[in-house]
Amino acid sequence: MSWPTARLAFRLRLPAAVSASVGLIAVMAAVGALFPAIGHSIGRISVPKGVSNLLGGADYGTITGWFRSEIAAIYGPLVIGALAITGASAATGGEEEDGVLAVVLAHPVERARLVVSKAAAIGAVVVLIALSTWIGLIVGVALAGGGISIAHMAALAVQLAFFGFATGAVAIALGAANGRRSVATGIAAALAIVGWLISSFAPLLSGVAWLKYLSFYYYYAGHDPLTRGVDILGLVVLGVVTVALIAIAVFGFDRRDLRG
Amino acid sequence: MGYGELAVTPGPVIATAGLSKDYGADRGLFGLDLEIHAGEVFGFLGPNGAGKSTTMRLLLDLIKPSSGSARVLGLDTSRESLEVRRRVGYLPGDLTLYPKLSGRAVLDYLAELRGGVDGRVRDALAERFGADLDRPVRELSTGNRRKLGLIQAFMHEPEVLILDEPIAGLDPLVQQSFHSLLAEVSAQGRTVFLSSHTLSEVERVTHRLAILRRGRLVVVDSLENLKRVAVQRLEIEFARPVDADEFRGLPGVTEARAEGRTVTLSFEGSVDPVVKAAARHEVRAIHPREDDLEEIFLRYYQESSA
Ligand SMILES: Nc1ncnc2c1ncn2[C@@H]1O[C@H](COP(=O)(O)OP(=O)(O)O)[C@@H](O)[C@H]1O
Ligand SMILES: [Mg+2]
Repeated sequence: MSWPTARLAFRLRLPAAVSASVGLIAVMAAVGALFPAIGHSIGRISVPKGVSNLLGGADYGTITGWFRSEIAAIYGPLVIGALAITGASAATGGEEEDGVLAVVLAHPVERARLVVSKAAAIGAVVVLIALSTWIGLIVGVALAGGGISIAHMAALAVQLAFFGFATGAVAIALGAANGRRSVATGIAAALAIVGWLISSFAPLLSGVAWLKYLSFYYYYAGHDPLTRGVDILGLVVLGVVTVALIAIAVFGFDRRDLRG
Repeated sequence: MGYGELAVTPGPVIATAGLSKDYGADRGLFGLDLEIHAGEVFGFLGPNGAGKSTTMRLLLDLIKPSSGSARVLGLDTSRESLEVRRRVGYLPGDLTLYPKLSGRAVLDYLAELRGGVDGRVRDALAERFGADLDRPVRELSTGNRRKLGLIQAFMHEPEVLILDEPIAGLDPLVQQSFHSLLAEVSAQGRTVFLSSHTLSEVERVTHRLAILRRGRLVVVDSLENLKRVAVQRLEIEFARPVDADEFRGLPGVTEARAEGRTVTLSFEGSVDPVVKAAARHEVRAIHPREDDLEEIFLRYYQESSA
């Protein structure tokens, strides 16, 4: 671990991470404040099953359903995924394409340590967003009049953090192995969206329901952490995938030519 | 660690053996054999695309050779790269730094990454070059960014400096500070390997030169020797018109032209016969032509392309 590198990479992502956190908390507070007014009437609207799955069940009649549909299904993973992917791509392929890495790697630091340190910084950004999600949920649920335990909200935040780790690690692996920001951002984002679609639609289609197991999204929210708490197996899967992807990043970066 | 305490490395400070990087289509670097010794300021010359940056990037292990190998301070540049990088300062050709950070923040990071950087050395360098450390890098002119690049290359007082086109983009005053810094560094027994695509840029600072063309070494020699074989030019202004034929047959003279009262001469070797011939007439002024070395540079290019 190169602490100066991890600190710098974190510092460069901090402004984006802080505004995303503030935004998340504000949106969740707004969602919570709206629930008493319109939650019960929206609860009676019936939507097609596919759309409902996309929205994390779309049970708008309960506070848990609301937060599952608004935050857990879409907003949380979108924000954490976007920050993890853009941060990871910028810190690897971005710095390499810009030529900054040519200066950095002229210093006595192993490439493996550099990659791991940057991954750690992105991990810290993800933790910050997950923590803000938790705080936002607490605020939002309180404004809505309660109904979800703080522990279950923490469970969602933990699942979300691991989803963020794995998603960011995809971009780190691509950025480190390939050295292009656009490739890392593009492919990682495409995979994240495909994963989300798969986990929403695959269960509805007979024969391909197993596809959902390929999606990070399934290990993040398939277990419904807001009602059932932490899913250890899901965390293990996401954790192992993250470590494997970082190993690929290190291996891919170590023996290749720096672009420039 | 200061350079004063370092043991002298026996043998060349930089040595390459058949060092190659094949990018295909006859581009890259091919079979470079080069030795640079302690205390030398060694100029690496060649037109754009000659392979200068490629060579330097190979020495820093930023890219891997297709074949051949290189040693810096006796260390293998691939296997012992970390130790090489600890003891070398490098200025990349197209320097980019974190645009949002101030110069100071960038240098702080790089110093931490390196460890053991004396803040006073850094500050002295910043003062010497007149670098602005407080503004964000993105607001700095190219010249001011290059200053930051030079500071990071020199701030740990490395035994070896590998500088890719360090002079291009520096204003004349900074060039002077840079020249005097090179002289000091070399007097301390430290070694400088610097590249350029124009000879005039480096002829005042280098002891030896290598000329590279299309990835291949054309010539390595001392500046003095290269000058000796160089075609030199003189303009002699006489009080009255003089026949150019008087100079044509002289030893070493390759060309003589008269225009009014001025005779322009090209010659190799000693200037003595020319001066003695000129002295038969009243001489008003003698103007040496400054671009003499560019000419050998060109001549070597042409010879190797023929
Ligand atoms: N990454 C690369 N891929 C393909 N060709 C390259 C690469 N880097 C350099 N080259 C080619 O190798 C040759 C030498 O380039 P370079 O070392 O940058 O030259 P110089 O620094 O002398 O101007 C050029 O023809 C250049 O186009
Ligand atoms: Mg170059």
